Amino acid sequence: MPLYDFDDDDVVVVIGSGAGGGTLANELCQGGLKVVLLEAGKHLTVDDFVNDDWAAYDMLSWLEKRTASGTWRVARDYPNAPSWHCKVVGGTTTHWSGCTYRLTEDEMRARSLFGEIPGTSLIDWPFKLDDLTPYYEKAERKMGVTRTNGLPPLPANNNFKVMYWGAKRLGLQQISTGSHAINAVPYDGRPASIQDGFTTSGDKHGARWSTLNVEIPRALATGRLDLRPESRAVKIEHSADGKANAVVYVDAHGVTRRQAAAIVVLAGNCAESPRLLLHSASGKYPDGLANGFGHVGRHYLRHVIQTVWSIFEQTVNMHRGELMGGVIKDFVAHDPQRGFAGGYYIELNAMGMPATAALVDPGWWGRDFAGVMEQYSKMSGIFMTGEDMPQPGNRVTLSASEVDAFGVPVANIHYDEHPNDLLMRNHGYNTLTAIHKAAGAKRSIQAPAYAASHNLGSNRMSAKPQDGVLDRHGEAHEVKNLFIADGSAFATGGACNPTLTIVALAIRQAEYISKRGAA
Amino acid sequence: MPQTENMTIAHKDPKLPPPLEVPEGPGWTALLQNIGAAQAEVLCAAVRTFYPHDAIPEACYRRVVYQLDQAARAAAAAALVRGFCGRLAELSALPFFELAETYRVQALKQIETTPEFFFVQRLSVRYFYDDVELWSAFGYEGASVHLGGYVQRGFDDLDWLPPLPSDL
Repeated sequence: MPLYDFDDDDVVVVIGSGAGGGTLANELCQGGLKVVLLEAGKHLTVDDFVNDDWAAYDMLSWLEKRTASGTWRVARDYPNAPSWHCKVVGGTTTHWSGCTYRLTEDEMRARSLFGEIPGTSLIDWPFKLDDLTPYYEKAERKMGVTRTNGLPPLPANNNFKVMYWGAKRLGLQQISTGSHAINAVPYDGRPASIQDGFTTSGDKHGARWSTLNVEIPRALATGRLDLRPESRAVKIEHSADGKANAVVYVDAHGVTRRQAAAIVVLAGNCAESPRLLLHSASGKYPDGLANGFGHVGRHYLRHVIQTVWSIFEQTVNMHRGELMGGVIKDFVAHDPQRGFAGGYYIELNAMGMPATAALVDPGWWGRDFAGVMEQYSKMSGIFMTGEDMPQPGNRVTLSASEVDAFGVPVANIHYDEHPNDLLMRNHGYNTLTAIHKAAGAKRSIQAPAYAASHNLGSNRMSAKPQDGVLDRHGEAHEVKNLFIADGSAFATGGACNPTLTIVALAIRQAEYISKRGAA
Repeated sequence: MPQTENMTIAHKDPKLPPPLEVPEGPGWTALLQNIGAAQAEVLCAAVRTFYPHDAIPEACYRRVVYQLDQAARAAAAAALVRGFCGRLAELSALPFFELAETYRVQALKQIETTPEFFFVQRLSVRYFYDDVELWSAFGYEGASVHLGGYVQRGFDDLDWLPPLPSDL
């Protein structure tokens, strides 16, 4: 039985239970509001999770069909899955590797800093880092981020030793095991990492923060959260005066429901959130909700994310230990001398053998490939995540001809590489390869990007309504009582892993909604 | 597979089924429900051409064909698998599985841009390297939480680089 009636128009309905939606739901419940949390996926627990690349992928992923177009190689390698995220209670926080870095002041004023770059649709964030800092602090405390609040860092693992010595020999300076929402010591009821290497498969051990293991249980404990798993939102409705007032969804039994709402919050990641807005077109909003200026689905970002896999003379065993337990920050700051705008983080990357084989270079086969895979235990991975350029044509649209099982048009994701993205990727590949070479690599493989996991920007915040979809609190410029709490709200992408910022924004948004009251 | 001192002990997650037992002899194709025996031999030879690990037993390749057979329960997948075999059959008077490796490689390269090739190659890389027998041979240890992770089992045992400073 639902906690709240379907016609209770006093509830906040949140769609999606990941970093944004799960955190926001808990914060609102703690603040005394009534919350209905709709999650398309199942409510799994650590007992369900497995230490297995593919079984976990199948268990956690949003696997429904999408299509892809544009010059990105992802369109060729993953034509029906160009953007990747989870479909499960906890969302993609059941998968994430725990990297927690803050945006810098410069990253939040990209347009002012970079100037005019042809082909881009850069803007500045509608607020400054100072506005976000207190919420970063709250997020770090909530998540138990290492190196904050007296918490110790993660210890160095084998893969880190390779990266460290390579980087050190090149003269790089800002090398550390990094900051993670993964416990190095027990914290907040969660155990310390046992260096199991399966954080991204649901994290069966539970050392890492997720909304599944922290936010949602605490929200449920307030008695104010109505969590409805396997509930697939298909449409957002509005009142005659244009305010969001209900969500239509299909429940676990296939029954279509309509939940009334005082406030609706979308947190379904960068493909699903704009897809729902576009599909919710009405007489009053013929181009989709919040799309009066045509920005819904546009300016889609996915970071310049690349991995270099190298083979060494001796054993590395990169699969042992926390997978992304290392960072180099020498290239984070924007430096026009490099010949491109924006910066990038270098981080560790490691995967099990099954995922490595599939991702090292999709479509690669034969003796050379087999020879590389045979040296898996001597392989080391190193990764970059950098700022990609917003372009209005990089966008999520709805198929005119194909619908899913719920009757909602399939999403297409179009992404053309900007010349700046290519220059950054080239610089990154060269740097990552040089680091491994300096550590003794025999051979390096510059892997293409895998399906986008840092999905950002497709419903962006903007100071002016004509530049974006959302205001500075993540509320739609055009549709009152409609908010967005996922990475699609980012005004620009910055360079770092986005989860910490999504959580900080959700805490900030919850404070705003709670102060205003659900009405 | 012979046990040598280079073998790693690899673990499949205890919640997941063990690898499928595949018969040694030519009768192994009796495992299959949707793919005929001749096509199964073509697919098996294709997977070995994709991932030619000389020390790896035939059973690992046959398990991939079993997964392709499972996938072929769906009509669209069955058509792609049949189409893959059909394209290879058109390229040579000899059955694909009788071709020398160099000619198998040549044939596969000729159909590399087809949807049938995409389907079979992408599915086979997913299943072939998801095999605990193979993990043992190539040094991937697999599931670890049920063994206490690696915190006491070598997560930082790399010793061929200098020790790290303590202020990281």
